[in-house]
Amino acid sequence: MSFDSTHDGATPATVGPGRDGSLLLEFTGVNTYYGDLHALKDVNYTIGKGEIVSLLGGNACGKSTTMKTIMGVVRPATGTVIFEGKPIEKLSTSERVRRGIAPVLEARRLFPRMTVFENLEMGAYTQKRGAQFNEDLDRVYSLFPRVKERRNQLGGTLSGGEQQMVAIGRALMARPRLICMDEPSMGLSPLYVEQVFDIIQEINRQGTTIFMVEQNANMALSIAHRAYVLQTGRVVLSGTAAEMRENASIREAYLGELKVDAAA
Amino acid sequence: MTTTDLLLQQTINGLSLGAMYSLLALGFTLVYGILELINFSHFNIFMVGSFVAMMVLQALGIEGQSVILTGLPLIGTLLAAFLATMLVTGLLGVGIERFLLRRVRYVKGPAAMITTIGVSYILLNVVLLTAGADGKNFPDPLPPIQFAIGDAVLRLREIMIWVIAIVLMGGLTWFVGFTRMGKAMRATAQDPEAARMMGVEVDRVIMMAFFLGSALAGAGGVIFGLYYNYTSAAVGFNAGLRAFTAAVLGGIGNVPGAMIGGLIIGVIEAMGGQFIATEWTDVIIFSILVLVLVFRPAGLLGRVAPNKS
Amino acid sequence: MSVTTHPSASLSAAQKKKLGLFLLTLFILIFPYVHDNDGDIDSMANAAAYATLALGLNIVVGFAGLLDLGYAAFFAIGAYYYGILTSFQVMPLWSPGWAPLAALGLVEKMNQGGPDLVHFTLSFWIALPTAALVAAFFGVLFGAPTLRLRGDYLAIVTLGFGEIVPIVARNVDSVTNGAAGLNGVQAPHLFGSSFGVSATPYYYVGMALVALLIFISIRLRDSRIGRAWMALREDETAASAMGVNLVRLKLLAFAIGAAFAGMTGVFFVAKLQTATPEMFGFPVSTMVLVMVVFGGMGSVWGVVLGAAILQLLQSWFLKDMSGWVNAFGDMIGVQWLAHVDLVQSMELIFGIILVVMMLFRRDGLIPARRKQPLLNFEQQHAEVRRGGFVGLDRIPKWQPGRGNALEVRGVTVKFGGLTALNKVDITVPAGGVVAVIGPNGSGKSTLFNVITGLVHADGGSIKLEGAEILGLAPHKVLEQGVARTFQNIRLFPNLTVLENVLIGQHTRLRTGAIAAVLRLAGTRAEEARALRWAMDIIGLFGNRLTPRANQIVTGLSYANRRRVEIARALASRPKILLLDEPTAGMNPAETLELAEQIKSLHELGLTILLIEHKLDVVTTLASTVVVLDHGDKIAEGKPEDVRRNDEVLTAYLGRAVREAVKAEALAESANVV
Repeated sequence: MSFDSTHDGATPATVGPGRDGSLLLEFTGVNTYYGDLHALKDVNYTIGKGEIVSLLGGNACGKSTTMKTIMGVVRPATGTVIFEGKPIEKLSTSERVRRGIAPVLEARRLFPRMTVFENLEMGAYTQKRGAQFNEDLDRVYSLFPRVKERRNQLGGTLSGGEQQMVAIGRALMARPRLICMDEPSMGLSPLYVEQVFDIIQEINRQGTTIFMVEQNANMALSIAHRAYVLQTGRVVLSGTAAEMRENASIREAYLGELKVDAAA
Repeated sequence: MTTTDLLLQQTINGLSLGAMYSLLALGFTLVYGILELINFSHFNIFMVGSFVAMMVLQALGIEGQSVILTGLPLIGTLLAAFLATMLVTGLLGVGIERFLLRRVRYVKGPAAMITTIGVSYILLNVVLLTAGADGKNFPDPLPPIQFAIGDAVLRLREIMIWVIAIVLMGGLTWFVGFTRMGKAMRATAQDPEAARMMGVEVDRVIMMAFFLGSALAGAGGVIFGLYYNYTSAAVGFNAGLRAFTAAVLGGIGNVPGAMIGGLIIGVIEAMGGQFIATEWTDVIIFSILVLVLVFRPAGLLGRVAPNKS
Repeated sequence: MSVTTHPSASLSAAQKKKLGLFLLTLFILIFPYVHDNDGDIDSMANAAAYATLALGLNIVVGFAGLLDLGYAAFFAIGAYYYGILTSFQVMPLWSPGWAPLAALGLVEKMNQGGPDLVHFTLSFWIALPTAALVAAFFGVLFGAPTLRLRGDYLAIVTLGFGEIVPIVARNVDSVTNGAAGLNGVQAPHLFGSSFGVSATPYYYVGMALVALLIFISIRLRDSRIGRAWMALREDETAASAMGVNLVRLKLLAFAIGAAFAGMTGVFFVAKLQTATPEMFGFPVSTMVLVMVVFGGMGSVWGVVLGAAILQLLQSWFLKDMSGWVNAFGDMIGVQWLAHVDLVQSMELIFGIILVVMMLFRRDGLIPARRKQPLLNFEQQHAEVRRGGFVGLDRIPKWQPGRGNALEVRGVTVKFGGLTALNKVDITVPAGGVVAVIGPNGSGKSTLFNVITGLVHADGGSIKLEGAEILGLAPHKVLEQGVARTFQNIRLFPNLTVLENVLIGQHTRLRTGAIAAVLRLAGTRAEEARALRWAMDIIGLFGNRLTPRANQIVTGLSYANRRRVEIARALASRPKILLLDEPTAGMNPAETLELAEQIKSLHELGLTILLIEHKLDVVTTLASTVVVLDHGDKIAEGKPEDVRRNDEVLTAYLGRAVREAVKAEALAESANVV
């Protein structure tokens, strides 16, 4: 089964910050440490409104640290994280969710002993109940018919792919302006990977900005507008998806061999 | 009495005791499910609850068995006693969490548990020093109505205890299953980091768990006083041991498990007292505790086994 | 390293310690003659008893990290052992069979106006050591069910046993006289005369007991056994992977702790001449715990001080303070103050102490470890050293076996529905270096875990030099010669660099508990050898680790902690070394340094199996590369070949990019031509 050209046709031509020109999220000069381990080194990203931006890289390059820094699980030592024009690096995780950033966690992490419906409810925790909730629920159900079928099943009993659908739906229930996805293709069969990526594109078309950390460069680049490549905490490559797809240096970066000019 | 009647009587007694232990176990398991913390102070909060109830009833003019109420005045008085006690013990639990336990929440090792042992001792000794070690006559406003079933006796107060326990347990189940905060509590118990990512404020959830758990402990204390017409500073340890065993037996962290465990332990205690000897009941209960932890740590209904991670 | 200005100006730390010890001993010896108050001397004797209890609990909780909430049970066992065997409670009928024991002085024939009876007259001095053995037996018995339980559950089970013992004592009247307690317990005799009613002889016996147990505690703490206990306290899994037999060491801690309590029980009961169940319940266990927590968990002198302070506070000061507070209350007319009895409030004070200590000073009065300031950057910095390890010539060459060092055949590991490893085959030739690479979640760490016995395999075989090691417990795997490091560094956080490395040698040393206490020439020589070997290994890293050998590892940089972990694994003289991402978190210069160091190990003859992401490291070191993806082995071969392998690239990058690489490869080959 070839994945190569499945999504190419749907990739929009516009590139660069924001379809409407505005920046949703900016990382500037971020340095994050675990103890004295320098996990993110002077990192700069921008995510424009309406884009799908992908963060790529091999093992232990800083992808998940980036996610944690956005969600507030980890605080940067220096640098700023600005969301919709306001700095968020000092806010708590729950506050960031309330401001409009919703995560889709690595390995899904649904609440195993709550039903699919309850998981979706939890996704809407920061939102008002009532008409809005029902609208959002309907939207999720129409995006994911399988999820609707299983709405009374316990989260832990679903297959990996089904869980991923629920996880994305759960994020949507928070009416986020930015969805941060952590390795959405991890542990999924190819069939599900394709479906999930189709849906990510659809959500993006409907107006949600997506920031996607992914190890599978191929899949990510087939739907992203732009991408960054990390190697041991440093951004070593960046550009439009089209540029990245032609760039054989990606391989070196993944295998940890890309020589960077920056001092060690 | 014939054996069947004895069995029936002890089942009645056991269910009443069990109702009390279930409430205690529930409160304990609520906190454990989220924090994985064994809260030793829980059982002296129960004891404090019985003292608070005693003082409330005395303030209402009920001393010993001097006043007997029926109908609306009875319900009103009981309601006042329960609500006041549960509020006080609930706030006490929240205070302990907010000002003491929160500081050691993330410390590795037994620090948090040792802190709860300390708090437990403080509660016990404050009561001892101010009220003395002697047993107290708990006010009893209930009319001495009872029904006979063969030779066994079913007292009004037992029915009342069952009703109250069912209402409280039902209320808690409803709360945990159907309210926003209740679901947040369940989510936090299953995956605190993911819950945070949904916007849940884990600190608030924990305080709520302590409030509810301690309020239930207080309710248990009121029931204890009404059932035995007696309370003392020492009642916490014994009831605590049984309730703890009940929670473990049902499956630690598991809400329905705590309820079932409580009933089973209550019946075992009643039967044990009748057919073996009261002195050995403690040994039996402890043995059940040890056996469950060693051979089936997840308990009857539990999924989380307290083994090495 | 010590700084002395003038020889005569001040004493060194060691001399101060000796002087202090001398003065203390002097004070203890003359106290009863200087302060002739029998009540106060009795309090001191009680303090001695609690100090020995605290010392015993310190071994279980402080050294080994096992939270025992039912410690008083062993106190009770020792007490009732002596009590029953000297009082008039248990008196079987006399028969000729008892005669030899009577000749030994262990029993005597008695007559109370009926048939002849046996009166047990066990000598106090024989009771002490034998009670230790009896209590130790129960320590093992009560400890065994707790071995696999998590810390808080272990506490609850021990609490359970701790309560069962006094209840049994209360209810088995015939033997223990129930709640009324044993009476007529015999006082100790020395040289024919009984101790009588004065507290003084008990005082001296108590102090001697404390001195003995302090001595034993210190000897154990500073030995192979003490190190192993602390390792298991800090990180059980890592300890097991480094050769510590968890079961044996935990039971040993329970046994020795119980023995201390058993001896104290004998002493206490002999002094009181009675034993009741109330003396041994949860409040007593808690009190001893408070003393240990207050004094400092793991600190020998700390817990003695804690016990002394709390006990003397209770018996000396509180009574007086009660008087003052009452008088004050009378004076200002506050009824409650005028009547409060502070001695009763001792338990309240205990509760407050527990809370305050846990919140504000978890290390206790005298912390077991002096706090070290974190090293700053200058102190941590060292020049990058090229060319491999320093001083390898001092290390005797490993003898590589013949054939294959490690053969993994068909190993499958399943976690629930997920197959982490699927019939994986890996061969590591003797003296070779094999690297395992693969994307996240491919099973690399699971592979290491199953080889070292930390994870259960659902099929296959693992042979080390031909011998099957699949299914062995982790410490046995280490013993056989497989040592490892961990992906996220599992050092023993509160131990020094040197102590961490010494643990690596645990299985290669022989000193047991008794040898540790006696510390004869053989043990001293073994420790000296172990120390030299550890310093040699540490010295391999040049000046990166040697100057910090006595530094607690949490103060070290990330890279240095990795190096310590490698040193620890090397210290066990393994046949094969499993390194899990050894260069993670290092900058390129440090990475190169470490890669060359690992390569130099290989030249020693050591076999190495390596998980690594950085392909340049892999290329420098490995002769063979194995690629895992989703639990399957998808490629194996020389590093250069594997890098070009289609499947490998797909695994890491997905398919589209592979096309670009293929195109590049085609272009290259076109240029060559």
